[in-house]
Amino acid sequence: MGKKLRIYLPFVNAGLQEVSTYRANWIFYILGDIMACFVSFFVWEAVFISTGGETFMGFARSDMVVYIFMSFLTGQIIGSGGTYDIGEEVKDGSIAMRMIKPISYNSTFLFQEIGNKIMEIGIIFVPLVAGVEIYRFAVTGSLKFDILRFLLYLVCCVFAYAINFCFNICFGFTAFIFKNLWGSNMLKNTIVGFLSGSIIPIAFLPGVLKDILTYLPFSSLSYTPVMVYMGMYSGWEMLFFIGLQIFWAIIFWCLSKVIWKCVIKRLSIQGG
Amino acid sequence: MIYVENLRKEFKKTIKEPGIKGSLKSFFKPKKEIIAAVKDISFEVNEGEILGFIGPNGAGKSTVIKMLTGILSPTSGSCSINGKNPQKDRKQYVKEIGVVFGQRTQLWWDLPLTETYTVLKEIYEVDDSRFKKRMEFLNEVLELDGFIKSPVRTLSLGQRMRADIAASLLHSPKVLFLDEPTIGLDVVVKDSIRKAIAKINAEENTTVILTTHDLEDIETLSKRIVMIDKGSKVFDGKIADLKEKYGQMRELAFVSSDENALDILSYAEKFGLEGDDLFAESDGASFKVRFNSSIVPVSDMLSYTLSKINVKDINVKDADIEEIIRRLYKEGVQNG
Repeated sequence: MGKKLRIYLPFVNAGLQEVSTYRANWIFYILGDIMACFVSFFVWEAVFISTGGETFMGFARSDMVVYIFMSFLTGQIIGSGGTYDIGEEVKDGSIAMRMIKPISYNSTFLFQEIGNKIMEIGIIFVPLVAGVEIYRFAVTGSLKFDILRFLLYLVCCVFAYAINFCFNICFGFTAFIFKNLWGSNMLKNTIVGFLSGSIIPIAFLPGVLKDILTYLPFSSLSYTPVMVYMGMYSGWEMLFFIGLQIFWAIIFWCLSKVIWKCVIKRLSIQGG
Repeated sequence: MIYVENLRKEFKKTIKEPGIKGSLKSFFKPKKEIIAAVKDISFEVNEGEILGFIGPNGAGKSTVIKMLTGILSPTSGSCSINGKNPQKDRKQYVKEIGVVFGQRTQLWWDLPLTETYTVLKEIYEVDDSRFKKRMEFLNEVLELDGFIKSPVRTLSLGQRMRADIAASLLHSPKVLFLDEPTIGLDVVVKDSIRKAIAKINAEENTTVILTTHDLEDIETLSKRIVMIDKGSKVFDGKIADLKEKYGQMRELAFVSSDENALDILSYAEKFGLEGDDLFAESDGASFKVRFNSSIVPVSDMLSYTLSKINVKDINVKDADIEEIIRRLYKEGVQNG
């Protein structure tokens, strides 16, 4: 294991350096995301004002604010560019250069992405969590921060990332068949955004839809960690949903292995 | 060392009809066609040999290299290198080979060059002392010193290619695959790369498979070539044999004051040459004739021409490998 880590550690380092090379690009990207987050905040403010109440379908106005910003943070933590990266590499043929190395194709992506993330999370994590907690304190007048729930939230994020990574790898492998993934990737992002509850909390959805979405893998991505953080689940519920996360992580991990075995035979290198 | 048997690769290709209508049609109902890029190729390479693998663009050279390096799976047939099957156990297999694709890079684009070597050192599990020695050696043959600290994206093509070759050799592979390693390089860099390949082959007995369009690469490096065209092998043997087999064609160029010299001479009737054995072409005052010198000696051809017409200048061209291959590429080879 130690030896393995030594092989992949340079990928973490390379991922980190990639981010610092294109610093401006990265800052604009984050700014764009934060703006989208504020748009969503104002939309929900408008919803609360127009209904005239302080609670909406079981969510207090302050809960909604926490939900919006925490799902933004969670989205950043668990985000995975595997689909896009694999798609690009298949499109321009550079996947060949990864395949001539005695390393696991998926692991190089994983560790490179972790390198990319360290920087991003390091910069936005503390200000966001602190901001959310200060806001909650100001509105409710009491400190809501719970260290145990916070740690469980981090655990949930790790599993959520595992699911998302494997899911994106599976999806990215379809590039071997479609050759270009841009269109289907956009479609996927929109659908997953809705199904994972990062646009509308799953609790707001009508009965059957809500039940279905709760058990689909996508709620594990963003909804579960955020609900754990907010203290919306009881102890047993938390255990159940973390169990569900582990279940889906294993399923997608196996699936990515199977799909890899199938598509590798169909690979054709484009562009000489 | 390397055995390739009846290797075949087929691709599905979408056929698009011309125009907007064709685009729409192929968007909704693509017409698929199966194309064989490599058709049942077999050859062997011995340990320590440098094999030149040549053929015109689109002949299937790169596809063969990609199958041998484990990137593509063959549709049928098999290959074995060092007793290993490249597709079965990719991770183990690629430890023993080095690969350079001239049109791509394995270097880390945004990082200083040294970082790539550090990463490769870990990937191939090269220990510190061996790594140091190896880098010194590669530095010496490929002269990396001047740019080893620069980010890869700032390197010139010649520097990048040298760096790429060094990267493929870091782990002392037994087999080296070079797919167009001199593409787009100037004469000096080409020369230093050839010297490096020759040196590594001589010192470490590394087996090399080299594809190229630059026949000087082949002539300086390899004794044996395999030539493929349209996916099939058309020649396999020593360069000397190739010269002997196809090299009897000689070319004579004359400048004459007689305008219709070729009509006066009518070589075909005089010598009974036909088909591939004779080619004559006139360009106003000058004309040239290419003929099979094993049927008609050059001296006969010369004295006959001189006796018939008024000649101002003569140019005799020797058979060179470049000319032979140009002919083969252009005409295709009917029966290998």
